[in-house]
Amino acid sequence: MKRVLGRLGHALFVLWAIASLTFLLFRLMPGDPTLNFLSESFSDEMRLALLNAFGLDKPLHEQYLLYMWSLLQGDFGVSFLQKRPVLDILLEALPNTAALTVSALVVAYAFGIIAGAYLAFARGTVVEGIAIPAALITRAAPEFWLGMILLAWLSFGLGIFPASGANVAGSEFTSEWARLTSADFLWHLVLPALTLALYLQGLPLLLMRATMLEVLNDEFIVMARMKGLSRWAIVMRHAARNALLPVATAFALGLGQSFGGNVVIETVFSWPGLGRVLVSAVQGADYPLAQGAFIMIAGVLVLMNMVADLLYAWLDPRVSVGAKR
Amino acid sequence: MQSASAVSGHPAKPGAVRRAWGFLRSQPFAFVGIAIYLLFALVAIFADQVATHDPRQILFSGTFRVARYLPPSMTHFLGTTAGGRDVFSQLVYGTRSALTVGVTAAFCVVVLGTLFGLLSGYLGGWVDRLVMRIADVVIGLPFLPFVLVISALTRPSTTTLVASVALLLWPNTARVIRSQVLSLRERGWVEAARVTGCSPTRIIFVHIAPQVAPLAALYGSIAVGWAILTEASASFLGFGDPSAISWGLMLQDAFNNQALSRGVWAWFIPPGLCIVLLVLAGFLISRGSEKLLFPKLGD
Amino acid sequence: MEPLLQVRDLAVHYRTAAGQVRAVDGASFDVPAGSIVGLVGESGCGKSTLGRALMGVMPRTAAIVAGRAVFEGRDLVTLSPAEHRKLLWRRMSFVPQTAMNALDPVQRVGNQILEVLTERGGLAKGAAAKRAEELFALVGLDAGRLRDWPHQFSGGMRQRASIAIALALEPALLIADEPVTALDVIVQRQVLDVMRALQARLGLAMILVTHDVAVVAYACDRVVVMYAGRVVESGPVRAVLEAPLHPYTMGLMNAFPDLERAGGDLVPIEGAPPSLLNPPSGCRFAPRCPFVEARCAADPVLVEESPDHHAACWRTSEAPLLRPRAAEAVTWSR
Repeated sequence: MKRVLGRLGHALFVLWAIASLTFLLFRLMPGDPTLNFLSESFSDEMRLALLNAFGLDKPLHEQYLLYMWSLLQGDFGVSFLQKRPVLDILLEALPNTAALTVSALVVAYAFGIIAGAYLAFARGTVVEGIAIPAALITRAAPEFWLGMILLAWLSFGLGIFPASGANVAGSEFTSEWARLTSADFLWHLVLPALTLALYLQGLPLLLMRATMLEVLNDEFIVMARMKGLSRWAIVMRHAARNALLPVATAFALGLGQSFGGNVVIETVFSWPGLGRVLVSAVQGADYPLAQGAFIMIAGVLVLMNMVADLLYAWLDPRVSVGAKR
Repeated sequence: MQSASAVSGHPAKPGAVRRAWGFLRSQPFAFVGIAIYLLFALVAIFADQVATHDPRQILFSGTFRVARYLPPSMTHFLGTTAGGRDVFSQLVYGTRSALTVGVTAAFCVVVLGTLFGLLSGYLGGWVDRLVMRIADVVIGLPFLPFVLVISALTRPSTTTLVASVALLLWPNTARVIRSQVLSLRERGWVEAARVTGCSPTRIIFVHIAPQVAPLAALYGSIAVGWAILTEASASFLGFGDPSAISWGLMLQDAFNNQALSRGVWAWFIPPGLCIVLLVLAGFLISRGSEKLLFPKLGD
Repeated sequence: MEPLLQVRDLAVHYRTAAGQVRAVDGASFDVPAGSIVGLVGESGCGKSTLGRALMGVMPRTAAIVAGRAVFEGRDLVTLSPAEHRKLLWRRMSFVPQTAMNALDPVQRVGNQILEVLTERGGLAKGAAAKRAEELFALVGLDAGRLRDWPHQFSGGMRQRASIAIALALEPALLIADEPVTALDVIVQRQVLDVMRALQARLGLAMILVTHDVAVVAYACDRVVVMYAGRVVESGPVRAVLEAPLHPYTMGLMNAFPDLERAGGDLVPIEGAPPSLLNPPSGCRFAPRCPFVEARCAADPVLVEESPDHHAACWRTSEAPLLRPRAAEAVTWSR
């Protein structure tokens, strides 16, 4: 419990630091900082209201306190271009990014773990000679380029999958959950998730293989063989369980990193997620939205880093249970 | 036993060259990686000779028709873009920005990371805590989004790109170097240097730094790949330097001009392939060097 | 009565980048049922390899290339993998060196015993749990500890747990590879006492592989001395240690401090064992032997000089004369 609280405190500190950094970034850039928050398209009443709300005419430290206070209340400000609360826009995009990231990671890790474990046994074979360079190549390739290839081949070329978006334009759903589980959504999800999975699988594959190889040399595996245990028991119950520790941690870390890294995939596939919101907000100088999107993405990253830490401690009895004589 | 060189009167050939060659021959991975780097470096240096056209020049077929989307041919090895520019020449000149960005960014990452790792590991105390705290915050920053935001708030340029890559990637190197310094700090010869009155600066930079240099170089070779991928992503999204010629920009151009729906493979496959090769080269070198730097790590 | 295990001319070779290492190159000895046999020799003499070869679990680069190991009437060397697997742990089991990783770090110790009892012993979970408690009691460990993780055990406790696991299926033979080497002296004694008590109670045979002659003297009935991949002497422990026949054994006796005759110098055997990549022909101890003669250029064979006491030396018949000379430091100096 102490450990959980400690990590939580640490995560909150990092979040605070990042929020403050964002504050400074957007206000200390050259030029008139108020322009970052007020667009000419706003009516005069709106401008006055915003000036007050953000305290843009007040000294910097007062602005900072106002900013932090609003953040804590979930008030990320109002989008210039869409003229509605930033938080609403972000919460619409969040499920799409979450669906994409989680599904891609699950597929990537399921494949990577199994393939990696298999490769640990296939040492010195032709399969290994092909698989390892292939995995390295997927890690070296820009994900958006992989997406482009798949798009050109499977969507434009063979016409199997839709080329953009998460739903057919104009479709209506009874609830968010209904939309996320609809066949339409899932069909749109296939290409982007596949691309992301293709890019991501290299890590769990190589990691699982490396850890398996190490573990298979450990003394307790030799002992398991001497006990006459079946191959299955040795690999699954003993080797894999040990080898999965770092892979599970990597999964949690990957979740956090992919949230932000999805930016390019979402652009290639016009996937309406947080990344795309950030990019279009930045391109359109919609700074409150850009700021909000950045903070939300960072928040997920910091949260998952903490989860990864705790996960490792929980899974490894050597860490979670101290030594006692 | 007299060496042959002593007899002939010439100074002995340094063993380093022979050793390096022997190492390369025994490590096919590193060999291939270095060969790829060399190839790209040569193309970058001799771009003027290798390219067939001016990459920025809009070409015409006939008097008024822009030479758009031409398929690959003997004059245009990879065809032309939607704007009538030669793809192959763009590809060739793209090596320059890729290598500059990659190497510069990697260099900065290594220098920053090693510096902080050395200071943090050796000095300990509040310096260590401070550096590690900063590192934690930096690690909490989403990589690509941060690069985008910075590029947007300042004007997009190669310098801002390199700077943001360096600013975000140093923590990993720093942590690893710090670990190594922590263990080196306890060694006998460091203690001896302390006792004889060496200043901390001297100990850090003259005694310990050379020991961590191989590890730093290892991370450097991987950082090159990361920097190139980041530049490509940023350019693709429209946040790169628009006046430069880069593979990322080529891909953006292709994407925005229906290269996918038209199936103009010769336009968007090669730039991606070049990126893959260069990043892969970094991986291969680091994999190959592991054997040399950490011989105790069995395969 | 037939010995439980009869090893004849066993040879185990390793493939390495430099060539074939002949780790065990012709070992012969007997293990009578219910006896504790000490397999002793310096590092690299092949004793650990021999222990693991008998279990049939070796690295991929190693293989038994010659000889027989007849266990309960069947030759382990020619057994099929399926047949061999039936024997594993049920008739012969293994206690490893006190390495932290001999037990799976992410499984509770109790589960590791239960696994063997249910998977290989065919016991139901309830019966297996009871048996696990009995086994722990046998080695003097508290039953509550079954729920603990391996890293929560001290070194001595881990060894005792390993012994408990090894006894789970009531084997006829237990091979222990340096079971007490990594423990401090007091704990060493405790673990050895446990092993001796178990042997007396359960009647199983044991092979204790060790480099420490003191362990052999304390715990074993018989001793087999190995040098450079070969057995150079074997027999009852008192006979071998008090009246050694082979010059190497005589030298070993000198290298250990004797509390009764305090004040004497320790006499090491100068030199080092030969490389097992390309062993020399003839007696392998010859380069270091103070009693070497011309005929030592030919490989000595294992002869039974006195009942049940074998040695591989051309001068075994002169042993009573050589022993007093071997006891003097000056004999061994070059």
